[in-house]
Amino acid sequence: MWLPVLFLIVGVLLGLLTDIRVPEEYANYLSIAVLAAFDTLLGGLRAHLEEKFDQKVFVTGFFFNVTLAAFLAFLGVQLGIDLYLAAVFAFGVRLFQNIALIRRYLIERGRYRKQTEKNQRK
Amino acid sequence: MKLRSKIIFSFIFALVGFMVAIQFQSNQIPEERDTRDLWEVRTDLQEQQKIQQQLYSRISELDEMIQQYEGQSQTEKVATLKQSIIELRKKAGLTEVEGDGIRITVKPIFQELNSSQTYPTISPSLLQRLINELNTYGATDIAIGNERITNISPIRDVNGNTYVNNHPIPPLPVEIKVLTQSPKRLLDYMQVSKSKDEFAIENLELSITAEDEMSLPKFEQMPRLNYLEVDENAETGEQ
Repeated sequence: MWLPVLFLIVGVLLGLLTDIRVPEEYANYLSIAVLAAFDTLLGGLRAHLEEKFDQKVFVTGFFFNVTLAAFLAFLGVQLGIDLYLAAVFAFGVRLFQNIALIRRYLIERGRYRKQTEKNQRK
Repeated sequence: MKLRSKIIFSFIFALVGFMVAIQFQSNQIPEERDTRDLWEVRTDLQEQQKIQQQLYSRISELDEMIQQYEGQSQTEKVATLKQSIIELRKKAGLTEVEGDGIRITVKPIFQELNSSQTYPTISPSLLQRLINELNTYGATDIAIGNERITNISPIRDVNGNTYVNNHPIPPLPVEIKVLTQSPKRLLDYMQVSKSKDEFAIENLELSITAEDEMSLPKFEQMPRLNYLEVDENAETGEQ
């Protein structure tokens, strides 16, 4: 798991060093997109822990979710409805669910390991 | 995980990191730096010192008044009280005042145009701007026609006529008398003021002359202070 973490750090550094700023009008879209990206990432992590990870689903999900969220925000601005709240809500709920599931898997995995160690000692 | 999927996974991680970094950076407000140089700081300091000096002189004036109140017999106290009432009435514009100042005559300009021209009038906003400008340049007392301008004088449009102190201003030419401590300076300022241009747009001409010993009428009505209340909680300075 060290490669993705390394890449994450590289990405953050790249973003900080290039000094790109998004104009304030578009900050909304980017924030929604970031939220969608987080959601997809955690979803991918969960699927990996569940051993159901599918690369195609993950990659398409990432790009599709990010675009959809930005589009929803755009539509909301055009119609005068705060549609981005829908995206925030949906992604927020899923974020929490995914994190909870990941925590549970990790705990269970820890327990399983302890038990196997005990069994081996016997 | 296969290497290929690992690389794709990592790539997307990098993308997310990049997005987060940009978002973070966009939300960061650049801190405002103090870029004044030595001279600017010095002039600012001088201005503040001037203000401080003025405040000190006002404090000493008021202190003196308090001492007069305290160190006097009953009759003298009443006299001081009357004196301060007279001063306050003068400040509020309830008495006639005399002094040096400038006289502004507002006259219509007639241009030789083919289209017909209506007789120009002074609009309230023009008057307000003029008064603001006069006050900025150090006017102490202002009268428009026979109406003395006080702190609570209304200038407004009533059915197309301009009313000052709830009386319509007379038709043009109108005289505006302004008292000031340095008439020469105010005259110079007004000669090059923005108001001249603004009045010219409305076909009005300002002719300005300095004059000695002008007398301004008093504010005729009772000052209405219905909406003023004594704020007993307010303490100036530290709490």
